[in-house]
Amino acid sequence: MGHKDLDSLVSLQDLDLMIEEAEDVEKLGFSITGCSELKVARKELSEKISKPLLYRYERLRGKLKRAIVPVKNDICLGCFLRQPTSIGAQGREGNDIFTCENCGRMLYWLD
Amino acid sequence: MQTMDLTNHFKKALFIPQMKATTKAEALEELLDLFVNEKLVKNKYIVLDMLNQRETLGSTGIGSGIAIPHGRTTATADVIIAFGRSQKGIDFDAIDHQPVHLFFMVIAHPNEQGNVYLPVLGSLVTILKDSHNREKLNTITTFEELVSVFHGE
Repeated sequence: MGHKDLDSLVSLQDLDLMIEEAEDVEKLGFSITGCSELKVARKELSEKISKPLLYRYERLRGKLKRAIVPVKNDICLGCFLRQPTSIGAQGREGNDIFTCENCGRMLYWLD
Repeated sequence: MQTMDLTNHFKKALFIPQMKATTKAEALEELLDLFVNEKLVKNKYIVLDMLNQRETLGSTGIGSGIAIPHGRTTATADVIIAFGRSQKGIDFDAIDHQPVHLFFMVIAHPNEQGNVYLPVLGSLVTILKDSHNREKLNTITTFEELVSVFHGE
Protein backbone atom coordinates (compact mmCIF):
# COMPACT_ATOMS: atom_id res chain seq x y z
CA MET A 1 0.00 0.00 0.00
CA GLY A 2 1.28 3.46 -0.89
CA HIS A 3 1.88 6.45 1.35
CA LYS A 4 -1.49 8.18 1.75
CA ASP A 5 0.10 11.62 1.95
CA LEU A 6 2.12 10.93 -1.20
CA ASP A 7 -1.06 10.23 -3.19
CA SER A 8 -2.67 13.34 -1.69
CA LEU A 9 0.37 15.42 -2.68
CA VAL A 10 0.10 14.16 -6.25
CA SER A 11 -3.58 15.15 -6.32
CA LEU A 12 -2.76 18.51 -4.76
CA GLN A 13 -0.12 19.28 -7.38
CA ASP A 14 -2.49 18.14 -10.16
CA LEU A 15 -5.06 20.62 -8.80
CA ASP A 16 -2.47 23.40 -8.47
CA LEU A 17 -1.37 22.94 -12.08
CA MET A 18 -4.99 23.01 -13.23
CA ILE A 19 -5.70 26.24 -11.37
CA GLU A 20 -2.42 27.78 -12.56
CA GLU A 21 -3.08 26.95 -16.22
CA ALA A 22 -6.83 27.69 -16.26
CA GLU A 23 -6.32 31.01 -18.03
CA ASP A 24 -4.08 29.48 -20.72
CA VAL A 25 -6.61 26.70 -21.30
CA GLU A 26 -9.45 29.24 -21.55
CA LYS A 27 -7.53 31.08 -24.27
CA LEU A 28 -7.51 27.86 -26.30
CA GLY A 29 -11.33 27.91 -26.40
CA PHE A 30 -12.40 25.95 -23.33
CA SER A 31 -15.11 27.23 -21.02
CA ILE A 32 -13.72 27.98 -17.53
CA THR A 33 -16.36 28.72 -14.91
CA GLY A 34 -15.47 26.81 -11.76
CA CYS A 35 -12.20 28.29 -10.50
CA SER A 36 -13.65 29.09 -7.07
CA GLU A 37 -14.98 25.52 -6.63
CA LEU A 38 -11.54 24.20 -7.47
CA LYS A 39 -9.90 26.46 -4.91
CA VAL A 40 -12.31 25.12 -2.27
CA ALA A 41 -11.42 21.54 -3.27
CA ARG A 42 -7.74 22.46 -3.04
CA LYS A 43 -8.18 23.84 0.48
CA GLU A 44 -10.09 20.74 1.62
CA LEU A 45 -7.44 18.43 0.20
CA SER A 46 -4.55 20.39 1.71
CA GLU A 47 -6.16 20.10 5.16
CA LYS A 48 -5.87 16.31 4.90
CA ILE A 49 -2.07 16.43 4.45
CA SER A 50 0.25 16.60 7.46
CA LYS A 51 1.37 20.17 8.14
CA PRO A 52 5.16 19.60 7.90
CA LEU A 53 4.75 17.79 4.58
CA LEU A 54 2.43 20.47 3.23
CA TYR A 55 4.96 23.12 4.26
CA ARG A 56 7.68 21.20 2.44
CA TYR A 57 5.47 20.94 -0.65
CA GLU A 58 4.65 24.67 -0.64
CA ARG A 59 8.33 25.59 -0.23
CA LEU A 60 9.40 23.38 -3.11
CA ARG A 61 6.57 24.68 -5.30
CA GLY A 62 7.67 28.23 -4.59
CA LYS A 63 11.28 27.47 -5.40
CA LEU A 64 11.09 24.89 -8.20
CA LYS A 65 7.50 25.17 -9.52
CA ARG A 66 7.09 21.38 -9.42
CA ALA A 67 7.40 19.97 -5.90
CA ILE A 68 6.79 16.35 -6.78
CA VAL A 69 7.85 14.69 -10.01
CA PRO A 70 7.44 11.28 -11.64
CA VAL A 71 10.33 8.82 -11.70
CA LYS A 72 10.52 6.46 -14.66
CA ASN A 73 13.30 3.92 -15.29
CA ASP A 74 14.97 5.37 -12.17
CA ILE A 75 15.20 8.82 -13.80
CA CYS A 76 13.88 11.85 -11.91
CA LEU A 77 11.72 13.64 -14.49
CA GLY A 78 12.36 16.95 -12.74
CA CYS A 79 16.12 17.12 -13.40
CA PHE A 80 16.65 13.92 -15.44
CA LEU A 81 19.26 12.55 -13.06
CA ARG A 82 19.37 8.79 -12.41
CA GLN A 83 18.39 7.86 -8.87
CA PRO A 84 20.50 5.40 -6.86
CA THR A 85 19.13 1.87 -7.31
CA SER A 86 19.26 1.48 -3.54
CA ILE A 87 16.29 3.81 -3.09
CA GLY A 88 14.42 2.60 -6.18
CA ALA A 89 12.95 -0.51 -4.56
CA GLN A 90 11.79 1.41 -1.50
CA GLY A 91 10.53 4.27 -3.64
CA ARG A 92 8.42 1.88 -5.71
CA GLU A 93 6.77 0.55 -2.56
CA GLY A 94 5.70 4.10 -1.88
CA ASN A 95 5.76 3.74 1.92
CA ASP A 96 8.21 6.61 2.40
CA ILE A 97 8.74 9.89 0.64
CA PHE A 98 12.13 10.24 -1.06
CA THR A 99 13.66 13.33 -2.56
CA CYS A 100 15.98 13.65 -5.53
CA GLU A 101 19.55 14.10 -4.32
CA ASN A 102 20.20 16.48 -7.19
CA CYS A 103 17.17 18.78 -7.46
CA GLY A 104 15.51 18.19 -4.09
CA ARG A 105 12.05 17.49 -5.50
CA MET A 106 9.88 14.77 -3.96
CA LEU A 107 9.75 11.63 -6.08
CA TYR A 108 6.79 9.56 -7.30
CA TRP A 109 7.75 6.24 -8.89
CA LEU A 110 5.63 5.28 -11.88
CA ASP A 111 7.02 1.80 -12.56
CA MET B 1 -3.06 29.20 -35.69
CA GLN B 2 -0.43 26.76 -36.88
CA THR B 3 -1.00 23.21 -35.72
CA MET B 4 1.60 20.67 -34.63
CA ASP B 5 1.83 17.06 -35.76
CA LEU B 6 -0.27 15.22 -33.20
CA THR B 7 0.11 11.74 -34.65
CA ASN B 8 3.06 10.88 -32.37
CA HIS B 9 0.75 11.37 -29.41
CA PHE B 10 -1.81 8.77 -30.55
CA LYS B 11 -1.51 5.04 -29.87
CA LYS B 12 -3.40 2.20 -31.50
CA ALA B 13 -4.24 0.73 -28.10
CA LEU B 14 -5.92 4.02 -27.15
CA PHE B 15 -8.53 3.95 -29.91
CA ILE B 16 -12.20 3.00 -29.44
CA PRO B 17 -14.33 3.29 -32.59
CA GLN B 18 -17.50 2.30 -30.68
CA MET B 19 -17.68 3.42 -27.07
CA LYS B 20 -19.89 1.50 -24.64
CA ALA B 21 -20.39 4.42 -22.25
CA THR B 22 -23.79 6.09 -22.05
CA THR B 23 -23.02 8.73 -19.39
CA LYS B 24 -20.33 11.34 -18.83
CA ALA B 25 -18.85 9.44 -15.87
CA GLU B 26 -18.75 6.20 -17.85
CA ALA B 27 -17.15 7.94 -20.83
CA LEU B 28 -14.33 9.38 -18.69
CA GLU B 29 -13.70 6.00 -17.10
CA GLU B 30 -13.85 4.05 -20.38
CA LEU B 31 -11.24 6.31 -21.96
CA LEU B 32 -9.05 6.41 -18.86
CA ASP B 33 -9.09 2.60 -18.66
CA LEU B 34 -7.23 2.55 -21.97
CA PHE B 35 -4.33 4.41 -20.32
CA VAL B 36 -4.50 2.16 -17.27
CA ASN B 37 -4.44 -1.03 -19.36
CA GLU B 38 -1.38 0.27 -21.21
CA LYS B 39 0.27 1.19 -17.87
CA LEU B 40 0.55 4.81 -19.02
CA VAL B 41 -0.79 6.08 -15.71
CA LYS B 42 0.16 4.81 -12.29
CA ASN B 43 -2.95 5.35 -10.20
CA LYS B 44 -6.32 5.27 -11.97
CA TYR B 45 -8.21 6.92 -9.12
CA ILE B 46 -5.83 9.87 -8.79
CA VAL B 47 -6.19 10.53 -12.54
CA LEU B 48 -9.97 10.00 -12.53
CA ASP B 49 -10.22 12.47 -9.67
CA MET B 50 -8.12 14.97 -11.64
CA LEU B 51 -10.36 14.56 -14.70
CA ASN B 52 -13.50 15.06 -12.62
CA GLN B 53 -11.99 18.16 -11.02
CA ARG B 54 -11.22 19.42 -14.52
CA GLU B 55 -14.90 19.02 -15.42
CA THR B 56 -15.76 21.07 -12.31
CA LEU B 57 -13.61 23.84 -13.72
CA GLY B 58 -15.80 23.83 -16.84
CA SER B 59 -17.03 21.14 -19.20
CA THR B 60 -14.47 19.98 -21.74
CA GLY B 61 -17.37 19.42 -24.15
CA ILE B 62 -16.47 22.26 -26.52
CA GLY B 63 -19.52 21.95 -28.78
CA SER B 64 -20.19 20.49 -32.26
CA GLY B 65 -20.19 16.97 -30.80
CA ILE B 66 -16.61 17.20 -29.47
CA ALA B 67 -15.16 16.72 -25.97
CA ILE B 68 -11.50 16.98 -25.02
CA PRO B 69 -11.21 15.84 -21.39
CA HIS B 70 -7.67 16.69 -20.34
CA GLY B 71 -5.24 17.43 -17.58
CA ARG B 72 -1.75 17.17 -16.27
CA THR B 73 -0.94 14.59 -13.66
CA THR B 74 2.14 13.55 -11.76
CA ALA B 75 0.95 9.96 -12.28
CA THR B 76 2.23 9.83 -15.87
CA ALA B 77 5.45 10.47 -17.79
CA ASP B 78 3.89 11.02 -21.22
CA VAL B 79 1.67 13.32 -23.27
CA ILE B 80 -0.80 10.91 -24.86
CA ILE B 81 -4.17 11.23 -26.57
CA ALA B 82 -6.90 8.57 -26.50
CA PHE B 83 -9.72 8.64 -29.04
CA GLY B 84 -13.23 7.33 -28.60
CA ARG B 85 -16.38 7.66 -30.64
CA SER B 86 -19.98 7.21 -29.59
CA GLN B 87 -22.40 6.91 -32.49
CA LYS B 88 -25.42 7.47 -30.25
CA GLY B 89 -23.80 10.44 -28.55
CA ILE B 90 -23.37 11.09 -24.82
CA ASP B 91 -24.68 13.93 -22.68
CA PHE B 92 -21.39 15.50 -21.56
CA ASP B 93 -22.71 18.91 -20.35
CA ALA B 94 -21.23 20.37 -23.53
CA ILE B 95 -21.32 24.14 -23.93
CA ASP B 96 -23.88 23.85 -26.77
CA HIS B 97 -25.92 21.27 -24.76
CA GLN B 98 -25.63 18.82 -27.66
CA PRO B 99 -24.57 15.18 -27.26
CA VAL B 100 -20.88 14.41 -27.75
CA HIS B 101 -19.83 11.87 -30.38
CA LEU B 102 -16.06 12.40 -30.60
CA PHE B 103 -13.82 12.20 -27.52
CA PHE B 104 -10.13 13.03 -27.30
CA MET B 105 -8.69 12.44 -23.83
CA VAL B 106 -5.33 14.14 -23.28
CA ILE B 107 -3.25 13.09 -20.26
CA ALA B 108 0.04 14.90 -19.75
CA HIS B 109 3.00 14.79 -17.38
CA PRO B 110 3.57 17.74 -15.03
CA ASN B 111 6.98 18.76 -16.38
CA GLU B 112 7.72 22.16 -17.80
CA GLN B 113 10.72 21.05 -19.81
CA GLY B 114 9.77 20.06 -23.34
CA ASN B 115 6.30 21.33 -22.59
CA VAL B 116 4.02 20.29 -25.42
CA TYR B 117 0.80 19.96 -23.42
CA LEU B 118 -0.77 23.33 -24.24
CA PRO B 119 0.33 23.24 -27.91
CA VAL B 120 -1.18 19.74 -28.20
CA LEU B 121 -4.48 20.96 -26.74
CA GLY B 122 -4.48 24.06 -28.95
CA SER B 123 -3.75 22.05 -32.09
CA LEU B 124 -6.53 19.58 -31.28
CA VAL B 125 -9.05 22.41 -30.84
CA THR B 126 -7.97 24.03 -34.12
CA ILE B 127 -8.15 20.78 -36.12
CA LEU B 128 -11.53 19.84 -34.61
CA LYS B 129 -13.05 23.24 -35.36
CA ASP B 130 -12.85 22.31 -39.04
CA SER B 131 -16.17 20.71 -39.96
CA HIS B 132 -14.55 18.61 -42.72
CA ASN B 133 -12.27 16.98 -40.15
CA ARG B 134 -15.23 16.31 -37.84
CA GLU B 135 -17.18 14.72 -40.70
CA LYS B 136 -14.25 12.41 -41.48
CA LEU B 137 -13.76 11.49 -37.82
CA ASN B 138 -17.43 10.58 -37.56
CA THR B 139 -17.00 7.90 -40.20
CA ILE B 140 -13.59 6.36 -39.42
CA THR B 141 -13.39 2.76 -38.26
CA THR B 142 -9.63 2.15 -37.97
CA PHE B 143 -6.70 3.72 -36.16
CA GLU B 144 -4.94 4.27 -39.49
CA GLU B 145 -7.89 6.37 -40.68
CA LEU B 146 -7.67 8.44 -37.50
CA VAL B 147 -3.99 9.11 -38.17
CA SER B 148 -4.69 10.04 -41.78
CA VAL B 149 -7.21 12.69 -40.70
CA PHE B 150 -4.52 14.25 -38.51
CA HIS B 151 -2.08 14.10 -41.40
CA GLY B 152 -4.56 16.21 -43.36
CA GLU B 153 -5.26 13.43 -45.86
